[in-house]
Amino acid sequence: MTDRAKFIASVTSSLGRSEVLSPSEEAADASTAVFENADTAKANADRAMSDASERSDTLTAQMAAMAATNGWKVHRAGNPEDAADLIASICEQKGAKSVLRSNHDVLSQIGVDSAVTNTGATLGVTEHDGENSEANIQDAKSAAFTADIGITGVDYAIAETGTVVLHPRSGLSRLVSLAPPTHIAVLRSGEVLDSLDELFAMERNDYLSGDLAGSMNLISGPSKTADIEGTTVTGIHGPLEVHLIILENG
Amino acid sequence: MKPQTINFRSKASQTMGDEEVQQAIEHVYTGFFKGRLVAAADTPDWEELRTKGKAIKDHTIAHLDYYLGLLADNVEKNGGSVFFAEDAEEARKHIIDLAHARNIKTVIKSKSMVSEEMALAESLNDEGIETVETDLGEYIIQLANETPYHLIAPAVHKSRKEVAELLDDDFKEGDRVPDATELTMMAREKLRGVFERADMSVTGVNFAVAESGSIALVTNEGNGRMSTTVPRVHVAVMGMEKIIPSIQDLSTMLRILIRSATGQRISTYVTMVNGARKPDEEEGPEEFHLVIMNNGRQKLLADPQMRESLNCIRCGACLNACPVYRKVGGHAYGWVYPGPIGAIVTPVMTGLKDASNLPAASSLCGACHDACPVKINIPRMLLELRYRSAEGSTDSAERTSSASERFVWKSWRIGMMGRKRFDYGAKLARLILRPLARNGWLRKSPPPISGWTSTRDFPLIAAGSLRSRLAKRRKKAKS
Amino acid sequence: MPENPSNPTIPDRVTLFASCMVDQLAPAVGESTVDVLEHLGVTVDFLDDQTCCGQPAFNSGFRSEAFPVATRFIEIFEKVEGPIVVPSGSCAAMVRNFYGDLFRDDERMIGRARNVGDRLYELTEFISSFFGTDAVVGQLSDDATYHKCCHLLREIGIDEQPIEMLSNIDGLNLTPLERDDVCCGFGGAFSVKMPDISSAILDEKLDYIESTGAKTVVAADTGCVYQMQGGLRRRGSDVQVVHIAEILAMSIRNASGAGAKR
Repeated sequence: MTDRAKFIASVTSSLGRSEVLSPSEEAADASTAVFENADTAKANADRAMSDASERSDTLTAQMAAMAATNGWKVHRAGNPEDAADLIASICEQKGAKSVLRSNHDVLSQIGVDSAVTNTGATLGVTEHDGENSEANIQDAKSAAFTADIGITGVDYAIAETGTVVLHPRSGLSRLVSLAPPTHIAVLRSGEVLDSLDELFAMERNDYLSGDLAGSMNLISGPSKTADIEGTTVTGIHGPLEVHLIILENG
Repeated sequence: MKPQTINFRSKASQTMGDEEVQQAIEHVYTGFFKGRLVAAADTPDWEELRTKGKAIKDHTIAHLDYYLGLLADNVEKNGGSVFFAEDAEEARKHIIDLAHARNIKTVIKSKSMVSEEMALAESLNDEGIETVETDLGEYIIQLANETPYHLIAPAVHKSRKEVAELLDDDFKEGDRVPDATELTMMAREKLRGVFERADMSVTGVNFAVAESGSIALVTNEGNGRMSTTVPRVHVAVMGMEKIIPSIQDLSTMLRILIRSATGQRISTYVTMVNGARKPDEEEGPEEFHLVIMNNGRQKLLADPQMRESLNCIRCGACLNACPVYRKVGGHAYGWVYPGPIGAIVTPVMTGLKDASNLPAASSLCGACHDACPVKINIPRMLLELRYRSAEGSTDSAERTSSASERFVWKSWRIGMMGRKRFDYGAKLARLILRPLARNGWLRKSPPPISGWTSTRDFPLIAAGSLRSRLAKRRKKAKS
Repeated sequence: MPENPSNPTIPDRVTLFASCMVDQLAPAVGESTVDVLEHLGVTVDFLDDQTCCGQPAFNSGFRSEAFPVATRFIEIFEKVEGPIVVPSGSCAAMVRNFYGDLFRDDERMIGRARNVGDRLYELTEFISSFFGTDAVVGQLSDDATYHKCCHLLREIGIDEQPIEMLSNIDGLNLTPLERDDVCCGFGGAFSVKMPDISSAILDEKLDYIESTGAKTVVAADTGCVYQMQGGLRRRGSDVQVVHIAEILAMSIRNASGAGAKR
C-alpha cells in the first residue's frame, strides 16, 4: 500500500468506516458549494460580471471608500491621459529612479511608458520573453527588488473589502506588486465586484472551465504588521505605500 | 516540538508574576478581542456566516478521507507533489531530504504552527541549511530561541525593549528604545537579502481547497507572498484537517477567519496558489510540494467527543477571549497550541497523563465558545477531558486523580444523597470552622478548601439552612 | 431551553430550587428569592429533600459521583409540576445544558432530565420572561455596579435584563462595569484547585470594580458573589457584593415602608 493509501485508510477507519464514502448531495445542510455543477458556477460568474457592469458607479464608489479606509491612496482619473499624469506625478513625488511595470493591457492603454520615462526614471516591463533561463529569472528578480515603484493593472477589485485582485498570468508578474516600496495599481471602473462571493464565483467558474490561473493575489492595502507591542506599522515586507488609480470610462 | 505540558503550573505562575509580560499580553484583549467584536457588529450576517462555516467544516471532517483524496489528486494534476506524513518526524525528514536533494542553501519560512510541531526551522538549521522565519513575530522569537506565544501574534509577550535587544545590533542598555516603526524597518532591511537569495520556502496553509488542489494563505506582511513567489521550491505544510471542499467556500471561511483573528475585514494579502509556476510565467516556484500531516490528529478524528476540535481554523479568537490564557500566557501550555484550543487538542495529541492541568485550568466561562467563528463547543470538551483524567479514561495511566481527590468527591456524594446528612454535614462544618471565623468570614481554612483562603476570605456556613428558615416561616404563617 | 412564549400564561405557583450553596452558605439569598416571587404574586413551594444538582463533581470530572446526586435531583423535582426557579445561572445551566452529557448513556434519564429542565428557570430569567424587567419596583439608595455571571450570560442567555431590573430601583445609581462580561475567576472547584490563576483573574475584576466607585456589586450567582466578596475583603475594601435577589428584596421592603434590612 502506498503512503497515501495507508494514510487515507486510517482516516477512513477513524471515521468508523471500512471504505471511503463519497459525500452525497443531500448531505444535510453541508453549506459547501462543492456540489454546484458547472452550469450553476457559470451562472454565478455571469451574474457577478453583469452586476459589476450594471452597478459600476456604486461599486466603484464603495471600492474607493473602502480602499481609502484600508490605507490605499485613492486617485480618480477621468481619462487615460490623466491616469498617466497621476502616475508620473507619483514617480516625481517619490523621486523614483527605477520603475517596473507589469504587462497588463490597461497600462499600454493609458500610455504610461512615456509619462514615466519623461520624469527621468528608467522603466522596465515584466514580460515573458519565451525563455525561462536561470539568468532571466535572476534578472527579473533583481529588477523587482531594486525598483523604486511597481505599477500593475488589476483583474478585478472587490468593493466589500477594498481589494485589488491580480492573476499573474502570462507575462504578468508577481514581484512587481510586492518588492518595490511603492505600488501603483490601475483599476478600470466596471471591474469592481461586489464582494468575496462574486470573486470566488468567478474563480470557481474559471476552474471548472479549465482556466484557473496559477496563482491569485488579493491586495488590500500597504503591507503591515502589529507584532511589536500591538502597534501597527506599515511596510514590513511588501510596499509601504500603495496607490489606487481608478480610471473612469476605461 | 517536545511537549512540556507537565510544567504548566510553574510556567503559569512565572508568567503571572511577570508584570511586563502581563502588560504585553493585554494587547490580545484590547487589540484582537475588541477588534473581533467591532468586525462582527459591522457584519450584518455574522451569525449566519458562523453557522455556515461550522457546517462546511463539519461536512469536510465527516468526509475527510474523501476530501484528502480529492485534494491530493488535484494538487498532482496541477503539477505539484503531495507527501502524506504520519507524524512530525516523517514530515521533517521528507522536507530535509528534499532540501538536500535540491541543493537548497537558504530556506525562508512563512508562519506555520504545523511546522512548529516538527521544530522544522531548528532542524534545518542544524542540517546546515540557513532557515529564517520571515513573519516578524516568528523572526523575533527565532532570534530569542523561543516558541510562539499565540497563534497569530507569536511575539505578543515581548516588550519593545526586548525586541530591540534582539533586532537592533547597536542597541545597548540605557539607550533610547527605538519605536515600533524603527524596529520594523530594521527587520525589513535584515530580511530583504534573505528573501532575494532564498531557494526554498516553507509556508503553512490557511485553507486547502480540495476541488481545485489550491492553497490559500492569509497574511498582512507580505512574507507569504514572497514565499510563494521568490524561491524555486515551495513547500506548504498543513494539518490534515485544514481542507475545505470548494473554491466558493473561501468567501465564507476567509470572512470568519480574518475578522475573528484580528478584526480586519480582510488581511492585507490573500494568496491562492494553484500549483507551481506555469510554463508561460517567468516568476514563481518551479516546484510545489504539499506535506499533509497527521501527527495525532487521527486520535481527535476517531474520538466522537473530541472530533469537533478539528473544525478549528486557527484564528486565535479563543485565546484572546480566555481569561486564563491572558494570565498564564502561551508558553505555559507546553506545546504548539496555546489557549482553549490547545487545552483540548494537546492532551489528545500528546498525552492526557502529562497534560491534565490544561483542561483543568479553566473557569468554564464559555468565552471561547462565544468567540469561535465555527462555534466549537470547547467547554464541553474541557469537561470531557476532566472526566477522563478523573475516572473515565479506559487507559489507567491517564486516570491521574489523587486518592484524596477521589475521597473528597466520594464524601461529597455521600453527603448530598440525603437531606438529613446534608444538614448535619453543614452543621458539623460550621461547628468546626466557627472558631476560625471573624464576623462570619474565614481567613484560614482546612483542606480541601484551603486554596481559597490563601487569597480570599471564605464565608462561614450559615446558622440554619434555607430549609429550616423556610420551615420557620411556614410555621409562623400558620400561627 | 424553556420556552419564553410571547404571551406566556403568568404562573402563580413555582417550586424553588435553592442550590446547595444558597441552602447552606447563603440562605438569605433563598429567602430573598421567595420574597421577590411572593411580591409578584407567586406562591413558592420548597421541596425539603433537595440538596444539589451535582455540578461540582461533574465539573471536576467525577461523573460517577455526580450521577447519583443528579438522579436524586431529578427524582425529587419531577414529582412536582409547573415552573422551577433557581437563583443561580450555573445550576440552571447544569440541569438544562449539561445533564444531557452526564446522562448520555441513559436515554430514559435524558428524557426525565429534559422534562425537569424544560420548566426550570433562573430567577432573573423567570422574572423578565413572565413579568417583565419593570415588574419589580423598589427603592434603595446606593451606588452599585453589575457583574455578568458567565453561565447566566452564555449558557442561559440572560444579558442586559438584570441591569434593566436594577434600573427600576428608585435611588439606585448604576455605574456600568468595564469588562462586565469577563469572568471573575470562580469556576467552582477551579477556584480552590488553581487559586493562583483564579485570583489573578479576580484581581483584574476587582480593579475594574474599584474604578467604578460603586459601593455595591450585584451579581446573580452565589459562587461569583463569594469569589468577589472574599477578594474585596482580603484587599481591605468596604465594597459589598450582593446577590440580585437580595437587592431586589431589600428594595421592595423599602418601597413598602418596611425599612431597609441588610
